[in-house]
Amino acid sequence: MAFLELDQLSAFYGKAQALHNVSLSVASGEIIAIVGANGAGKSTLLDSIMGLTRVTGQIRLEEKSLIGLSAAGIVRSGVGYAPERFNLFPYMTVRDNLLVGAYTARNNVSDNIAVVHKLFPRLQERANQETSTQSGGERQMVSLGRALMTSPRLLLVDEPTIGLAPKVCNEIAVALKRMRDELGATIVITEQNANFAMTLAERLYVLESGVVKAEGTVDELRNDERLTAAYFGH
Amino acid sequence: MLQIIVQGLLLSGLYALIAMGFTLIFSVGRVLNLAYGAYLLIGGYIYFTVSQTLGVPKVLGLLLAAMVGCLVGLLKYRLLVKPLKGNHVAVEISTLILAVVVQAGVVFIYGDSSKILLPIVPGVTQVAGASVTYNLLAATIGSWAILFALYWFVRKTHVGRAMQAVSMDTKGAAISGVDPDRINMFTWGLSGMLGATAGVFFASYTQLSPSMWVAPLIIAVAVVIVGGIGSIIGTLIVAHIIGFMEVLAVAVIAPELRGVFTMLLIIGVLVIRPQGLFGREEL
Ligand SMILES: Nc1ncnc2c1ncn2[C@@H]1O[C@H](COP(=O)(O)OP(=O)(O)O)[C@@H](O)[C@H]1O
Ligand SMILES: [Mg+2]
Repeated sequence: MAFLELDQLSAFYGKAQALHNVSLSVASGEIIAIVGANGAGKSTLLDSIMGLTRVTGQIRLEEKSLIGLSAAGIVRSGVGYAPERFNLFPYMTVRDNLLVGAYTARNNVSDNIAVVHKLFPRLQERANQETSTQSGGERQMVSLGRALMTSPRLLLVDEPTIGLAPKVCNEIAVALKRMRDELGATIVITEQNANFAMTLAERLYVLESGVVKAEGTVDELRNDERLTAAYFGH
Repeated sequence: MLQIIVQGLLLSGLYALIAMGFTLIFSVGRVLNLAYGAYLLIGGYIYFTVSQTLGVPKVLGLLLAAMVGCLVGLLKYRLLVKPLKGNHVAVEISTLILAVVVQAGVVFIYGDSSKILLPIVPGVTQVAGASVTYNLLAATIGSWAILFALYWFVRKTHVGRAMQAVSMDTKGAAISGVDPDRINMFTWGLSGMLGATAGVFFASYTQLSPSMWVAPLIIAVAVVIVGGIGSIIGTLIVAHIIGFMEVLAVAVIAPELRGVFTMLLIIGVLVIRPQGLFGREEL
């Protein structure tokens, strides 16, 4: 049984279609990566799972359809999202950003905060700093932390390493692995950087112009020219 | 001199309360609610009818005014603002029309002439040698108490933080599990409640008249424009600038010019610094 299943998913911005009949399925506890060049539709795909775009087709989480739910309803169903541009609350402190994430999971606030601080000790040190004054790496941590505060079973992370220094990329990768291994989260990341995707994910989907061009395990796709094509954007 | 300082402080507290409900809607929903003054009108007249005409205890009259204000705010969001979602010009035009309609309704029911609202708390006292009515003192203390409670609420509760979140990043709020639509609805109700309460205080300080929605609206607009998008603290500061300016204008120049400087200040800031003096988007 698939944990997350997209069936013939298409997404639209006005009349423009950004996803074309995307089907994919993710097993519980898996880490998968959606790999594609700029403009391939990676963010649109994750936004669509969160109910933020107009779609046709089906999205199921543990057999239950997410279609028609609001973003808040989808969060309540167990999906956490760390979007591309973070969408943090710039004039709130790190702690308050995390607390907003606790909006739907109010019974687990202190447990979840402890988990976040364990994964990202820096967020504990900087608890009272406004996120508008933070570096990109720190913001990514707040964004992931805020998603964790919703007690997610499925975590969506859009380009976790974009613009980050290699050392920080590593930290993020380690944290994502721990979220799966220690918290049991199922994780979907998107990446332009196929190499990073292959170090983290077990399976990949290659997305090009809103269409799934290839899918398979890391070993199957390692030397596939469709992956390199997507990586370099043709 | 002392009189001016005391009067300025008292009036500014009241102005801060007046502006607060307007600022809330502006920062959470990005709507300039030009019908905001109508809440004050409704609050003032309901209190007048219930407590002054029918003789119901003043506290109950104030509570009822606040509740009706809340209801009007909720209805306005549901029936007007939400259907017109995103069309700012349409929202502003229809809110302005709504205020005029409310005014016409008040004239229809109560007549054109202004009414004296008896002081909520009668009597006069001396504060640091300046004479001050208990009524204004009570209004100011009440305003400060409400503002403190609001500050605490916005900073320390889940719903309050969600309001801040929606004001700063709607998408970020939604993916945190906050329903922006519900938060907007809540904020409209809260704003109506604050406006109607401010209306009772304001009417007891000035007088009750069908046009009493205009002056408070200008104060509220001034606070948002001068202060940039409103934080609670920013609202307090700007309300004091405006309050003191008015008290000074009345004392030093002429009472007729009371509101004029506020309006000139709005225009001046719009020309020189459109993003507001403190301009940053927070609550
Ligand atoms: N808000 C939007 N309105 C209209 N078109 C959009 C919007 N967001 C993305 N698109 C278009 O959808 C396509 C996919 O974009 P996106 O999902 O952001 O790609 P990626 O995340 O892979 O870079 C692009 O052609 C982009 O121009
Ligand atoms: Mg993207």
